[in-house]
Amino acid sequence: MNNNYEVVFIVRPDVADDAIKGIIQKVKEAVEGLSGRVNRVDEWGKRKMAFQIKKYSEGYYIFVDISSPPPASKEVERILRLNEDVIRYQTVKKPAAKVVKETKKENKTSQPKEISQ
Amino acid sequence: MRVDNRGRKVNRAEGQPHPGGKRVFQKKKVCRFCADKNLKPDYKDMRSTRQFISERGKITPRRITGNCAKHQRDVAIAIKRARVLAILPYTTVAV
Repeated sequence: MNNNYEVVFIVRPDVADDAIKGIIQKVKEAVEGLSGRVNRVDEWGKRKMAFQIKKYSEGYYIFVDISSPPPASKEVERILRLNEDVIRYQTVKKPAAKVVKETKKENKTSQPKEISQ
Repeated sequence: MRVDNRGRKVNRAEGQPHPGGKRVFQKKKVCRFCADKNLKPDYKDMRSTRQFISERGKITPRRITGNCAKHQRDVAIAIKRARVLAILPYTTVAV
């Protein structure tokens, strides 16, 4: 089953554009290699941060929307952790749509009925 | 106007103090996320979450914002996520 993840990571502001493209490419390949799908890549660009991270007061923000099995998100986090240019990353699992929950309930209620018959 | 120690808004500036413990009633606030179903607390959108932090960067309590419990929880989570990404401050520098 695929989960939806939102990954936001911050790259050092003094890094060349090619390096940023390279990181995004790496993330994409990792997700697709683990049977996931990249829905959207948003580059928010250079932004002023609310506080300094590793002595930088600006950062290049990148937002990636993924739907993938759990190991793919772990792999993305590993890539970002090992990359020296990434100064901060955060993965958020988005709650599944309500429709999925309703179908689960229906299945649960329907099963005991079958047994009683 | 100031807030007394129980969180009630006390209107002292306009009138004389209330000797008999007479309360000034405030208009009941409505949770703005319940009022507008499309609005959701989002850690990525700084402008909407900014309203719920004080100048010091603290999360404003429910009694001030008027949020319902569920949405106050969502707001708190959104603010904490935004703090990780340096979108919102943990604290502002002491004056």
